[in-house]
Amino acid sequence: MSQHIQQPVDEKKMNELLRQKKSRMKLCLAACAGCSLCADSCFLFRGHDKDPRYMPSYKVVHSLGTLYRRMGRVTRAQLEEMKELIWRNCVLCGRCYCPFGIDIPYMIAFARRILRTQGIYGMYPHTVGGPEAERRDSASPQGG
Amino acid sequence: MSLLYELARGPLVWISVLVFLCGIAFRARQLFSLTSKKERIFCPARPAEKGSQSLPLTDEKKIERIVAFQNWLVGKNPVMAIISFVFHGCLFIAPLFALGHSLLVYESWKIVLPSLPDGLIDFLTIVLLACGFFFLMRRMFVPRVQAISSAYDYGVLFLTVVPFLTGFFAYHQWFDYKTVITLHMLAGEAMLIAIPFSKIGHMVFFFFVRILVGSETSFWRGNRTWSP
Repeated sequence: MSQHIQQPVDEKKMNELLRQKKSRMKLCLAACAGCSLCADSCFLFRGHDKDPRYMPSYKVVHSLGTLYRRMGRVTRAQLEEMKELIWRNCVLCGRCYCPFGIDIPYMIAFARRILRTQGIYGMYPHTVGGPEAERRDSASPQGG
Repeated sequence: MSLLYELARGPLVWISVLVFLCGIAFRARQLFSLTSKKERIFCPARPAEKGSQSLPLTDEKKIERIVAFQNWLVGKNPVMAIISFVFHGCLFIAPLFALGHSLLVYESWKIVLPSLPDGLIDFLTIVLLACGFFFLMRRMFVPRVQAISSAYDYGVLFLTVVPFLTGFFAYHQWFDYKTVITLHMLAGEAMLIAIPFSKIGHMVFFFFVRILVGSETSFWRGNRTWSP
């Protein structure tokens, strides 16, 4: 993890992807009226004492929304914060419901894709084979 | 003020209407270009179960209906759903059917538009302002709404409500009439211009996505899809 934090953000790679779906994503972000009616459709929001950080629109606005607003000019620390939102706080179950018909899971999946270009991956406790798991394995005395 | 008044009742009306119409057309075109026609899938129709329509309402069906209702927005968040519906209804009806607006159209182009009684429009305006106040309070004090609110969101709400507030003042002749009516016209024009280019653009997005894009949440089977 610390290795990644040291790396500078590759704006070029990120902007390439951001531009690829700019029209659709910006349109969807602009259509979000911030009504928060998507909140109750997320079981993680309901299961975490209605913590707004688990709300579907919060996850999108503070990840993809920030990336588009700053057009990739973000720090690695900000990307790490986004990682928490779009991996730990979302399982991409696709059950979130937007009254305007915005495809929230699609946007979160796209935000994940952008973060992957920076070597940022979501790590689940038992993930095997991911970059962090590989490093952990190689660092341990038993690891290969 | 009189120059601003002349501007607001003359060229600015045309500019705002033109920007509004062109903006809506641009957004619609953008939505069409971002989606593509869905491939039609032919499925053989399932033979209808005999007498399925006349089956008595079993407990299973009752539960199914209760679950469907609870998953529906009105079942999940009835207060917000009803207030939103009423707010948007008033937003369309009050300006389109106000007698004052119809008279202006008649005086300009001799076109008679339908209108509703002044008392009713006044009532709808008060309802709209009350709903607007509810949204403001919600944005300020409900944590989940507060978490995704920025100055921009407050600005959009302000932009939506001000034409109605000034219209209400103008109708009741409160404060200086000429100032209030000028503000009313300017606020209405600002709102028209903002519709296609701001969050109020959900007006176009909502109808397009819910009607034309086929998905689980569409009103009916749409014939377009987001995927290229």
